[in-house]
Amino acid sequence: MDTHTPGCTHVCAHMPVRGRQERGIEATVKIKFSFKMRAFGGLILLFYLIFYTCLAGMFAFCMYVMLLTLSPYTPTYRDRVSPPGVMIRPYLNGFTIAFNVSQPSTWQPYVDSMHHFLAAYDDKVQEEKNIECISGQYFIQGGNESEEKKACQFKRSLLQNCSGIEDPTFGYSKGKPCILLKMNRIIGYRPGAGVPVSVSCKVQKGNESNLRSVDFYPGNGTFDLMYYPYYGKITHVNYTSPLVAMHFTDVKKNHLVPIQCSLNGKGIVNDVNSDRFLGRIIFTLSIGK
Amino acid sequence: LLQKKSNVYSVEIYGTKDLEKTEIGDEEEKYKDLKGNNKKKKAEDLKKELDLEDHKLSTSELEEKYGTSINKGLSSARAAEILARDGPNSLTPPKATPEIIKFLKQMVGGFSILLWIGAVFSWISFGIQLAQGSESPFDNLYLGVVLAVVVILTGIFAYYQEAKSTNIMASFSKMIPQQALVIRDAEKKELSADQLVVGDIVEIKGGDRIPADIRLIFAQGCKVDNSSLTGESEPQSRSCDFTHENPLETRNIAFYSTTCVEGTATGIVINTGDRTVIGRIASLASGVGNEKTPIAIEIEHFVYLVAGVAISIGVLFFIISVSMQNKILDSIIFLIGIIVANVPEGLLATVTVSLSLTAKRMAKKNCLVKNLEAVETLGSTSIICSDKTGTLTQNRMTVAHLWFDNQIYSADTSEDQTTLLMEGQKYTCYKLFVLLCIQRVVVGDASETALLKFAEVILGDIMDIRARNKKVAEIPFNSTNKFQLSIHETDDPKDKRFLLVMKGAPERILERCSTIMINGKEEPLDSEKAEAFQTAYMELGGMGERVLGFCHLYLPENEFPDTYPFDTDSMNFPTSNLCFVGLLSMIDPPRSTVPDAVSKCRSAGIKVIMVTGDHPITAKAIAKSVGIISATSETVEDIAKRLNIPVEQVNRREATAAVVNGMELKDMSLQQLDEILCNHSEIVFARTSPQQKLIIVEGCQRQGAVVAVTGDGVNDSPALKKADIGIAMGIAGSDAAKNAADMVLLDDNFASIVTGVEEGRLIFDNLKKTIAYTLTKNIAELCPFLIYIIASIPMPIGTITILFIDLGTDIIPSVALAYEKAESDIMNRRPRNKRKDRLVNQQLAVYSYLQIGIMQAVGAFVTYFTVYAEQGFLPSTLLGVRVDWENNAINDFEDSYGQQWTKYQRMYLQWTGYTAFFVSITIQQVADLIIRKTRRNSIFQQGLFRNKVIWVGIFSQIGIALILTYGLGHVTALNFTPLRFQYWFVAVPFAILIWVYDEVRKLFIRRYPGSWWDKNMYY
Repeated sequence: MDTHTPGCTHVCAHMPVRGRQERGIEATVKIKFSFKMRAFGGLILLFYLIFYTCLAGMFAFCMYVMLLTLSPYTPTYRDRVSPPGVMIRPYLNGFTIAFNVSQPSTWQPYVDSMHHFLAAYDDKVQEEKNIECISGQYFIQGGNESEEKKACQFKRSLLQNCSGIEDPTFGYSKGKPCILLKMNRIIGYRPGAGVPVSVSCKVQKGNESNLRSVDFYPGNGTFDLMYYPYYGKITHVNYTSPLVAMHFTDVKKNHLVPIQCSLNGKGIVNDVNSDRFLGRIIFTLSIGK
Repeated sequence: LLQKKSNVYSVEIYGTKDLEKTEIGDEEEKYKDLKGNNKKKKAEDLKKELDLEDHKLSTSELEEKYGTSINKGLSSARAAEILARDGPNSLTPPKATPEIIKFLKQMVGGFSILLWIGAVFSWISFGIQLAQGSESPFDNLYLGVVLAVVVILTGIFAYYQEAKSTNIMASFSKMIPQQALVIRDAEKKELSADQLVVGDIVEIKGGDRIPADIRLIFAQGCKVDNSSLTGESEPQSRSCDFTHENPLETRNIAFYSTTCVEGTATGIVINTGDRTVIGRIASLASGVGNEKTPIAIEIEHFVYLVAGVAISIGVLFFIISVSMQNKILDSIIFLIGIIVANVPEGLLATVTVSLSLTAKRMAKKNCLVKNLEAVETLGSTSIICSDKTGTLTQNRMTVAHLWFDNQIYSADTSEDQTTLLMEGQKYTCYKLFVLLCIQRVVVGDASETALLKFAEVILGDIMDIRARNKKVAEIPFNSTNKFQLSIHETDDPKDKRFLLVMKGAPERILERCSTIMINGKEEPLDSEKAEAFQTAYMELGGMGERVLGFCHLYLPENEFPDTYPFDTDSMNFPTSNLCFVGLLSMIDPPRSTVPDAVSKCRSAGIKVIMVTGDHPITAKAIAKSVGIISATSETVEDIAKRLNIPVEQVNRREATAAVVNGMELKDMSLQQLDEILCNHSEIVFARTSPQQKLIIVEGCQRQGAVVAVTGDGVNDSPALKKADIGIAMGIAGSDAAKNAADMVLLDDNFASIVTGVEEGRLIFDNLKKTIAYTLTKNIAELCPFLIYIIASIPMPIGTITILFIDLGTDIIPSVALAYEKAESDIMNRRPRNKRKDRLVNQQLAVYSYLQIGIMQAVGAFVTYFTVYAEQGFLPSTLLGVRVDWENNAINDFEDSYGQQWTKYQRMYLQWTGYTAFFVSITIQQVADLIIRKTRRNSIFQQGLFRNKVIWVGIFSQIGIALILTYGLGHVTALNFTPLRFQYWFVAVPFAILIWVYDEVRKLFIRRYPGSWWDKNMYY
C-alpha cells in the first residue's frame, strides 16, 4: 500500500543529491504542460463557443415562442397602464412655465413648442387623413382586429382662442397663456363610461385667488367620447389624441402659482399619492410683466 | 545475554525511567533553538529558575526562608500580605483578544469592506442628490442603510457563533475550584487552592491534586503521578529526602497540578501560580504562534477571488459607463449594484453555520471542537501523531497472558472482559494464581488493579476470599528486592499450614525457587525447565508485555505454628527454595476500535505516527497489534536480523517501518529527521519526552503535511499549539493541554479522531457545494447590471431584491447542503493537498460563473422580457430606452403598441420585472440546489430524498419567495409586486436544462475519468 503523504515528495525533491536531475525533469514537464495547456485552451474556447451558441439559440427560441403568443394589435395585459395618466403641452424641461410678457424671448420657446405640437392638428391635415365622427358616442369599429381603423378629426380650430390661429402667441404675449392637456392613450380604454371626461383646475397649495379664471376649449373642457376607444398604433395609424386647452386668463402675476389640473369622470383616478401624473397634472405658472 | 535483556523489562514493572528525566534540560535547549532568538531568553529564564535550592535545604532552613512554622503555619495576616504581593495561586490564562476587537474584526473581515464601500457610495450619492434637489434621493440613503445593516448583522452573527464555541471551552477551564488543606494560625483550614501563598503548610492525601509546587517535609507512602509534567505514566514515590540535585528529579518536591495517587504528605509551598514549573511551561506554550487553519486560508482565498472579480468588473463597468456619457452619479450607483450583486452576502454566515452544525455532530461523537475552523482541519489532516497510552490503548493494565504447565494461555483483553479463554484448566494452579493476585488492596497501581480485575472475573467476590485467606505478614515491593511477599492462612480449616506467596520480577523469583509446579505436582527445577521458563519469558517480553513471576511455599506446620511471630524485617521465614508457579504478563491493551480506525486512516491516506514515552518494544508491539506497523512491513533492525547483516548495511529505503528511540532522536539533525519522516511510512517514536513531540510535529510540517497531534500533558501543549490541529484528551488531559488544543476528545479514543476526519472531509466537500451553489446566482444577479449599462434597458433587478435573494431565499438551502451525505468514497481518498486542492478552485468558479450562472441569467432574462412584452414593451422597444425610461418628467412614454405610460406606471412595471427576475432566479436556484447535491455521482445515485433538509431548503426558498411577492408585494419600498402566477413557470425550462446539463456533465466525468472533460468540469 502506498502510504506516502502527499507533501513528502515535495520535500525530497529539494534534497541536494537529486537536484540537477529533478530540474531536467521539471523542464520537460513544463514544456509538455504548456503544449497541453494550449490544446486545452483551444478546446475550452471551442467548448464555450458551442455552449454559448446553444444557449443563445435557446434564448432566441424562447423569445420567439414568447413573441408568437403576443398579439401585434393589443398587448396581453393593460392593467398597469390604466387608468390614464395626463400630460401637458408646452413641455420644455419640466413643469414650470415661467416667462416675462415684456421679454418675448422668454415665452417664444413655449409658443414654438405649441405650434410644433399642434402641426398634426392643422385643420387641413385632419380633414385629409381623418373622418368626421358623431359627437357624444364612442366610435367603436368592429371587424377584424388587423383591419385599419379610422380616426376622428380633432381640428386645431376647435381650440378657439388657444388654437394659435387668431393669436399665434397662444396668449403668452398678453400674459394669458394657453396650456394643452392630453390624456395618455390606452388601447381599448373608454374613459368616463359614457359620460365625457372633463378637466378642472385649481391652485395646488396656496391662495385660491391666485387663479381667478380658466377657460376650457373645446366644449367646456371635455374629451369627446367619439375619440375613444384607441386601437393601437398599427391599425389606428392616424389617431390623434384629443386635447383640452386651458386658457389661464387671470393668474396672479409675478408669483409662482402651483396649479393642479385633473380629469374628472367615472373610472378616472386622480388622487394617488405615489403617482402625481395619474388623472392629474401639477405645474407651476410664473408670469412676469 | 538473555538474562541481561530481560532485566530491562523487569525494571519497567516498577520502572523509574531515569533515562527520560535527564533529557528534560537538554530538550528545552533544543526547543529554544528551534524557536529562534526571541524565545531564547525565555527558555533560559526557565532553566535558571528551575535551579531551585529548596530541595537541598533542611526543614529548619526552610522555615526560616519562608518565615513559617511547620506546626503553626503562616498567620492569616502574613498570608494575606504574601497573597497581595504574589497574586493568587492560579495560572494566568493566555491573553485573550478584547471582545470589542473581535467584534470589530468581524465587522471589517471578509466581504464587509466591500459592502461598507457600497454603503458609503450610497450615502455619497444620496448627499449629492440631496444637494441637487433630485426627486427621490432617499432610495440611496435606504440602500446605504440596508447595506450597513447587512454588514452589521452578519458581523454580529459571526461574532455570536464564535463566542458560542469559545464558551464551550470556557466551561472546561472553569472547573470546580480546587480545595486545599492548609495549616494557618496553627489550625487546619480548608481553603480554595488559589488562596495559597509561598510558605503555607499544606496536607495532601491520595487522590488530591497538588495545589502548588511544594517541598515535602513529611510523607507516608506518598506517590505522585507526574505524567502531565514529564510524561511518565508510572506513579513516582515521594518522600522528604533530598535524593537528586535536579529539582525535577528529587523526591522531596511535588509539582503543581500533578496528582497524588496514594499516601499522605505534608509540605511547604515554595512556588505558586505562574512561578510553578507547570506555570512556566504553560506560559512558554502560549508563546507558540497559532497557525492559520487551512479552511481560514481557503476562505480567504475565496474572498479574494470574489472580491477581485467584484472590483474588477465594477471598475471596468464604471469606466464603460462613464465613457458612455452617463452621469458620474449614475455610474457610482451602477458600481454599488455590481458590488452587491457580486458579493455573496450570506455565504460567510452560511459557512459558519455549516461548520457549527458539523461541530455539533462531532460533539455527539465525542469530538468537542473548540475552534470552529478546526472542524475542517481534521479533514485535511495527512499525519496524525498519536499518543499511545489512553488514546490507542485502554489505559489500564490488563492481564494478557499466563504461563504455567509449560504453556502460554492468553486472556481476554477486550474492554468488557467477559470471557476468559481458560476452560478446563488445572484448578490448583489456577487458584494459586488467583490467590497470589489478590494479596494487596491498592488503589492506583496499574499492575495490582489489573491482577485484581483478573481475579475478580475468575473467582468472583474478592473480599470473601481475602477474608478466608487471612494475611498474617507482608513485605511490600521495593526496588532493591524487586519482589513482593505475603503470608496467609489457608482457607482449608483442616490445613493449619501457612502459605507463603511471592511475586515479582521473574528472574528474581526464579532465583529463589528450587521446584516448579507442573500439572499440580511439584517437580524439581532443572535446567530444561529453566530453559522453558526463559523461552516463555522472552516470548512474553517480546510482545511488549510486563511480566510477573509467581511462586509459593507451604510453611511446615511444626516449624511455623499458629502463633509464630512473623517479622518482615528480620525475615524469620524461608525466602528461597520456593516452588515456582508460573508467569503472568500484563499489557495496556489496545482499544478494540483502534485497529479498525487505523486501517481506515491508512485507506484515507493518513499516516499515523505513534509517539510514546514507553519502551520501544512495548511501543512496537502495540503498534503492530493496532496496525500502525502493518504485519508485512519491517524495520531496519528487522531486515538486519532476517538477513543476518549489521544494521548499517541495510538499505534504509527498503524498510517501510521505523521505530525511533528518543535517545536517537536527540542526536539527529533536522535533515535526518526529515529523511526518516519521508522514507518510512510507518513510524513509531518511543521513549520520547513530550518536548520531543514538538520537534516531530515541526518535522512533519516541513513535509507540507497537515498534522494532528494528540496530547494530554502540560508538556504537550507547545506541540498541541504548533500542530495544525491539537487534540487534547478530555479525560486524561490537563487543563493546559485543553487550552492549547483545538479539539478535545471526550472519550480519549483514537477512533473518535477518525470519525472526526470523516466529518471534516465531508464538510469540506459540502462547503464546496454550498459555495458553488451560492456563487452561481451571483452571475444571474450581475448580468442585469451589465446588460443595463450596455443595452440601456430598464433595470431588470434591484439592489434590494438581490439582497433578498442572498440573505433570504438562499440561506436555508445553502445550509441544507451541509447535511448532504458523502459521495461514497470519502475515506478512500488521500487527504487533500493544501496547496493544490483548493476549496474554490478554477473549475468551481468557472463552472458556476460561466456555465450555470449564465444559464440562470438567460432564464431570468426570458422571464423579464416576457413580463415587459406582455405589458406592451416588446424587447426591440426596450433596447436603448434607459434615459427616457428613467426620466421623471416624461409621463407619456410610448410603448410598442402606442399606449402612453406615466413614470410611476413604468416604475411599477420595472418592479414587476424585478419580481419576475427574482422569482426566476429562485426557481432556477432550486435546480441549482438539486444539482449541487453531488459533484460526481448522479442525483439518482445519491437519492433525491435522502437528505430531507434539502427539501426543507427548497420549500423554504419557494415559501419565502411567495411571501415576498404576494405578502409584501404592496410595500413599495421593497420593490416587490404581486406577480402573475404564470411568470413563475417561465424559467422552469431553464431549470430543467440546468439539471439535465449537470447530469450529462457528471455522466461524462464518471465515464471518462482523467479526460479533458473531467479536468475542466469537475470541481
